[in-house]
Amino acid sequence: MHGKRKNVTKEFGNLNFSEEMACYLILIVPIVGFLVFILYPYLWAGKWSFFNYTGVASQTRFVGWENFINIFTKDKSYWHAWLVTLKFTMLKLPIEIPLALLLATILQKDSLRGKGIFRSVYYLPSIISVAIVGAIFSNLFDFRGVINSCLMRFNIIQRPIDWFADYSTSMAVLLTASIWLSFGVNVLYFMAALSNVPVELYEAASVEGAGRIRKFFSITLPMIAPVFQTILLLAINGTLQTGEFIIVLSNGAPGGTTFTVGAYLINAFVPGFATGSPNIGYGSALSLVTSVFYCLIAVAYMKVSTRLANNS
Amino acid sequence: MERRNRIVNLICYLFLLIILLATLFPLIYTILSSFKTNMELLSDPGRIFPERFTVDNYIRAWNSDSLQIGRMFINSVLYTLGCVMIMLIEASLYGYVFARGKFRGKRILFLVFSSLMFINLGSITIYPLLEVLASVKLKSSLWALLVYKIFAIPIVNIYLVKSYIQSLPIALDEAAKIDGCGFVGIFFRIIRPMLKPIMATIGMLSFNSSWNEYLFPAVFTMAKPEQQTLIVGIIALKNSSESAVSWDLMFAGTTISLIPVLLAFAFANRYFVKGIAMGALKG
Repeated sequence: MHGKRKNVTKEFGNLNFSEEMACYLILIVPIVGFLVFILYPYLWAGKWSFFNYTGVASQTRFVGWENFINIFTKDKSYWHAWLVTLKFTMLKLPIEIPLALLLATILQKDSLRGKGIFRSVYYLPSIISVAIVGAIFSNLFDFRGVINSCLMRFNIIQRPIDWFADYSTSMAVLLTASIWLSFGVNVLYFMAALSNVPVELYEAASVEGAGRIRKFFSITLPMIAPVFQTILLLAINGTLQTGEFIIVLSNGAPGGTTFTVGAYLINAFVPGFATGSPNIGYGSALSLVTSVFYCLIAVAYMKVSTRLANNS
Repeated sequence: MERRNRIVNLICYLFLLIILLATLFPLIYTILSSFKTNMELLSDPGRIFPERFTVDNYIRAWNSDSLQIGRMFINSVLYTLGCVMIMLIEASLYGYVFARGKFRGKRILFLVFSSLMFINLGSITIYPLLEVLASVKLKSSLWALLVYKIFAIPIVNIYLVKSYIQSLPIALDEAAKIDGCGFVGIFFRIIRPMLKPIMATIGMLSFNSSWNEYLFPAVFTMAKPEQQTLIVGIIALKNSSESAVSWDLMFAGTTISLIPVLLAFAFANRYFVKGIAMGALKG
C-alpha cells in the first residue's frame, strides 16, 4: 500500500495521490450539479426548441427551425418586452447611478455626523425580498392607496390616479420602486471605491486652488473609473434581468405592456404563472435567444468600456 | 468663505435627510399600517399613524385560513436554515479546494464554474430541473428544492473564500503537514477556524437571499400549499381574489416577513456592508 502510493507520487511529480483524490471527492457534488442542473438544461432546451411541445406526448411534433423563425418574424410581444427592458434600463440608470455617486461623495466627508446611519438606511431596501418590495409598492400606489390620498390632500391631483391603468404611470411606479430598491447598494459600491482614492491628491489640488466641483471631475471620476465600470456592468446586468419584481408589482399592467424580457418569460412559460398549457418548445427557443442576447450585451459593454478607458 | 461652507454643508445634510426619509417611508408606512383596523385602512389610507393601535391583525393573520402564517413562518425558517448550512459547508470546502488543492484539471474546472456567472438560461430551466428531480423520485416540494440547492454551485462565495484563503500564510499548512495532517485534516484543524469572519459574511448574505427567495419556492410548492414559505404565501394572498378585502392580513404578513431581515440588519449590519463591498471590488 505504502509502496504503491510512492510510485504514483513519482509518476505525477509533486502531485499527492491522496490529496488529489480528496479534492475530486469534495468536488464530486458540484461537478454532478454542473452536469445535471446546468449542462443538461441547456441540452434539454436545445432539443425541445425544435419541437412543438406542451407537455402532452401525443401533441409533440418536430418543427425544425420554425420556433426560431417565428421569434424573429412574428413574436411582437417578445420584442416589445425587449423594448421595455431597454427603456427601463435607459431611464433607471441615468437617475440611479448619479444619485448614488452624489450621495457617496457627500457621505465621504469626514466632518459629517451620522454617516453610518445614512449609509445603512440607504441600502436597507436592497436586503428586502423583491417580491415583498413589489407588494409594498403595489399597495402604496393602489387606487385607494396612500400616495393617491396624499397627492389629493395637497391638491396636486383632483381625483385618484389609477397608476397601473396607463403605460406611462405604470412604468413610473416600476422605475420608482426599482430605484428605491437598488440605489443604496450602489452608494455602498461607490463609497468603497472613493475610499481608495489617495487623500494627498485632494490636498495637492486644494493647494492649487481647485474647488469642489473641479476636484470631483479631475480627480475623483478618473480615479474611480475602473470600479465605476464594474458598478455599471452590475447595474446593467441586474436591470436587464429584472423579472419577478415586475411580475409581483405590475404583472405587466396595463395589458402586459410593462413586461420586461425576464418577466415576459416567467409570465408566458413558468408553471403557476403561465395560463393554459404553454408551448415549452417555443419557450426553450426564446430562452436560448434571450440568453445569447444577455451574453452579447455584457460582452459589448466590456468591449466599449475598455476602449473608452484606453482612449482617455 | 466660512459662511458659504456652512451653507453648502447644510444643503448636503438636508439632501441626505430627504433621501433617508424617502427610503424609510414605504417601510414605516407598511409597519404602522399593520397596527390599524381594517376599517381605517380602507376609509383613510392617507393617515400615516394609526388612529388606534391594535394587534388584532396579527391575531387574525395567525389564525387565518387564507394565510397560515405560523406554518409558513416555520417553513421559511427551516428552508432558510437548510440553505445557509449547505452554503457554509459548500462555500468553505470548495473555496479551500480551489485555493490550496493540487489536482489535475483544477484550472479548467474553475474556469467552467466561473462562466456560470455570465451564462443564464433563465426561468425555463425549471422544467428540466423538475424532470431530473422526478427521475430520482423527488416530487416537487420545498425539500426537493433543498436537494437542488445542494447541487447548485455558489460561485461568487467560492471566489470570496478562495481569495480569503489565498491571503492566509501557507506556512501554517506546511507546519501541519509536517505534523502529519492530511489535506482534509488541514482544512478542519487549521483553515476552518480562521474562516470565521468570511463565513459570518457569507452566512448573513445567504440567510438574507434564501429568506427572500420567491420564484423557485413558489413553483416548487405549487402542488403543496402547506409547504409555502412566508414570502410565497403573502404574494399568493396578494394575487388572490380576497386581496381587496384583506389589507389587514397583507400588512401584518408583510411586516412579519420583514422582521427577521430587519433584525439581521440591526445586529449584523457590518457583515452585509462588508459582503456587498467585497462583491463589488472583487467582481
